[in-house]
Amino acid sequence: MARDFKRRQEAGGSLRRVLRFLSSMQLGIGLLLLLAAISIFASLQEQEKAVADIYRSFWFIGIMAFAALNLLLCSLRRVKPLARLALQPQKVQTVEAIKKMPFYRAVKLTPADGGGGGAEKASAALRALGYHVSVAESPEGKKIFGEKGRSGYFGSFLTHFGLLVILLGALVGSLTGFEYTGGGIAGDSFQVPGGNFTVRIDGVRMVQEPDPTVRPRVYSDVVVTRGGSQVAAGTVAINEPLRFQGNTIYHKTFRYVSEIVIKNPATGEETTKQVSEQDLLAVGSEGSYIHFLKFFPNFSMTEQGMPYSINWLPEKPVLAGILYNSAGQGERPVLLQLDKPQVIAVAAGEIELTLKDFQDAVVYTVTRNLGRPLLLAGALVLVFGLYLCFAVSPRRLYAACERDGDVIHLGGSSYRGRIGLEEDLARVAKELAQQEVEA
Amino acid sequence: MAGAIEVSPAGLFLENMLFALAVAGYLAATAGYLAYLFGKKSLGSYASRLLHLAFFLHSAFLAARTVNVRRVPFVGHFEFGNLFIWACVLVYLWTERRQKEKYYAVGAFLAPLVVLYIGYLTVVPKIFTKVTISRAHTLLPPVLQSNWLKVHVSASVLGYAGFTLAFAVALMWLLKARLQEKSAFARALPEFAVLEEYMYRASVFGFLFQTVMIITGAIWADTSWGRFWGWDPKEMWSLITWFVFAVYLHARFTRGWSGLRTVALVVAGWFAMLFTWVGVAWLLSGIHSFG
Repeated sequence: MARDFKRRQEAGGSLRRVLRFLSSMQLGIGLLLLLAAISIFASLQEQEKAVADIYRSFWFIGIMAFAALNLLLCSLRRVKPLARLALQPQKVQTVEAIKKMPFYRAVKLTPADGGGGGAEKASAALRALGYHVSVAESPEGKKIFGEKGRSGYFGSFLTHFGLLVILLGALVGSLTGFEYTGGGIAGDSFQVPGGNFTVRIDGVRMVQEPDPTVRPRVYSDVVVTRGGSQVAAGTVAINEPLRFQGNTIYHKTFRYVSEIVIKNPATGEETTKQVSEQDLLAVGSEGSYIHFLKFFPNFSMTEQGMPYSINWLPEKPVLAGILYNSAGQGERPVLLQLDKPQVIAVAAGEIELTLKDFQDAVVYTVTRNLGRPLLLAGALVLVFGLYLCFAVSPRRLYAACERDGDVIHLGGSSYRGRIGLEEDLARVAKELAQQEVEA
Repeated sequence: MAGAIEVSPAGLFLENMLFALAVAGYLAATAGYLAYLFGKKSLGSYASRLLHLAFFLHSAFLAARTVNVRRVPFVGHFEFGNLFIWACVLVYLWTERRQKEKYYAVGAFLAPLVVLYIGYLTVVPKIFTKVTISRAHTLLPPVLQSNWLKVHVSASVLGYAGFTLAFAVALMWLLKARLQEKSAFARALPEFAVLEEYMYRASVFGFLFQTVMIITGAIWADTSWGRFWGWDPKEMWSLITWFVFAVYLHARFTRGWSGLRTVALVVAGWFAMLFTWVGVAWLLSGIHSFG
C-alpha cells in the first residue's frame, strides 16, 4: 500500500517535471533559436528544395508543433497566477510593506494636510494621473490604493494566444485546403477537382497602364457553378481576388493564346490550332515540330538581333519559336507575324503557317483556405496583445497616512518598466510635498 | 527601362541637390556628435540641430522624389533605403526630444550608422559592380499598386529603425564595458542601466513594427499571390529577425537577463535585420526582388 502510494507519488512527480519542462520558458527560447538556426540554413538552399526538404518535412513541422505545445502549456500554466495578480490585488498594505516596495518615498505633509487632508490630496493626485483609486480606513490610518493599466497584465497571454490561433489557422488551412492552377481565354471553363466546382471565364479585358511599357492589368469576369447552379460571380484582377465559401480565385498571370492556321500548299488542306508560349506544334508527318517560346505584342529586334517587345501595345504581334527536326535538333527560328503566311520547309515538304489571331488568356490560382478567418483573427489578437504588453504598463501605487502623523508613505510596483512608475511617484510626491523626507 | 518616368531637369536637379545636402548634413551631424563624444560637450546641441536640419533636407528630398515618381517612394532598394534612413533619424530625434536628459552620445553612435547606410546606397554600387542600386524613376507594376504596400513598407522601415537604434545603443554598451569605468570616455557614456533600458525600448518599438510588417505582408501576399506564407528568403529572414528579438524580449522580461547576453542578442538581431535588407537582395533569390 505504502509502496503503491510512493510509486504513484513518484509518477505524479515525474509527470509534473515533464509538464514543467514542456511549459518552460527555457524550452521556448531554445525552440525559437533552433527554428531560427534551421531557417537560416534553409534560406541558403534553393527555395523549392528548402520548402520540400525542410519546411514541409515531418521533423520541421514536429519542431513547430513542439513550439506550439510549449506556448500552449506555458500560457495555461501562467493564466491562473496572472489572473490572480491582475484581478485580486492586495489593496491594503502596511506602512512597513510599503517601505519595502521597489519604489518608495516618504513625504512630510504641511500642517494643513495632516490628519486626513494628505490622503485626500494623494487620492486626487492619483486620479489626475489616471489611476483607479480606493481608500480604506484601518487602525493605522487611511490606506490608499491606486491602479492603472490593468489590461497590460494580459498582454503576453493574448500575444501567445494570438500566435496559437495563427498556428491553428495554418493547420486548418493545410488540412482542409487545396491549390489548383487553371485558366483559359474568354468562353473557356475549367473544373476545380478539390473544390468540386467549375469556373467559367465570361470575358477578359486588358487595360494598359498610362505608360505601355508597364505590364498591363488584366480583368476577367468569372462565373462559378456547382451542379449547374451558380455559386459566385465577379471580376478577378491582380490584388483583387474573388472569394466565396472559403475558396478564392486569384489572378496569377496572363498569357497570349495564338490561333495558327497550318496549310499544306500542295494539297490545300488547312487545320487551325491554338498555341501558347512553351507549346509544341507538330508540323508535317515525319516528326518536325515548332517549340513556341514567346509572344511579342509589339515586336522589334535589338541591334544584336535579339527579339523584344517595345511595349505591351499589340501593334506588331509576333509569335516566336524554333523549328526542330525529327531528331530534336533546332533548325531555324520561326517568327510568325499576324496575317502574314510563312512557308517552312520540313522533310515532308513545305508547310504554310499563318498567325490568324491571338487572345488574352488568364491563369488563375484557385485555393481553399478555411483557416483564413483564424489567421486574421489570430493576427489581430497578436497585435493587440503586443500593444498591451509594451504600450500599457500596469502600475500600482500605495499611500499610507499614519494616524495623527504628518508623514505620508508612498510605494509602488510595476509589472514591467520602471520609468513610468518613478515619474508617477515623483508627481504624487510633488503634489503632496512641502518637504520630502529621506527615504 | 519598363515604366520609366520622364522627370523634368528642374525636378531632377532639385531632387539630387536635396539628397546631396541631406548627406552633407548627416556627415556634419556625425562629426558634431563624435566631437561631443570625444569631449567637446558644448557641441552636443549643435550636432542635434545639424541632425534636425539634415532630417528636414532629407524629408524635402523624399517629397521631391514623391513628386518626381508620382507616388510614395516606397519601391526599390534606393527608395526603401532612403525611407529607412529617414525613419532611423526620425525615431532617434523623437527619443532625443522625449528624454529629459539629453543622451547626445547615442547620436554619436546612430549618426555613423546612418552614414554607413547612405554609403551602402551610394558608394558601394560604385565599387562593387554586382550591387546595382538603381535611382531610376519608375512607375509601379500592377502587383505593387496596393494600399497594403504603404502599410507594409511603413511598418518595415519603422521596425528597422527601432532595431538600428537598439543596435547603436548596444554598441555603446559594448564600448563602455570594454573601456571599463577608469576611462573618462566610458564615464561620459550613460550608465549601463540607462543604456539597457534605452536598448529595450528601441527593440520593443522595432519588434512591434516588425510584427505589423510581417502580418501586413502576409495579408497582402494572400490577396496578391493566394497564400499567406511562401517561405520566400525575405519572409524567412524577417521571421528570423523577429525570432531573435522575441528571444531577447522574453529573456529580458521573464528570465531577467541583462548585460552582455542581451546585448549579444540585440547585435545578432540587427545582423539578421541587415541580412534581410542587404544580404537577401544580393545573395539569395526570391519574389521580393523589387525591394
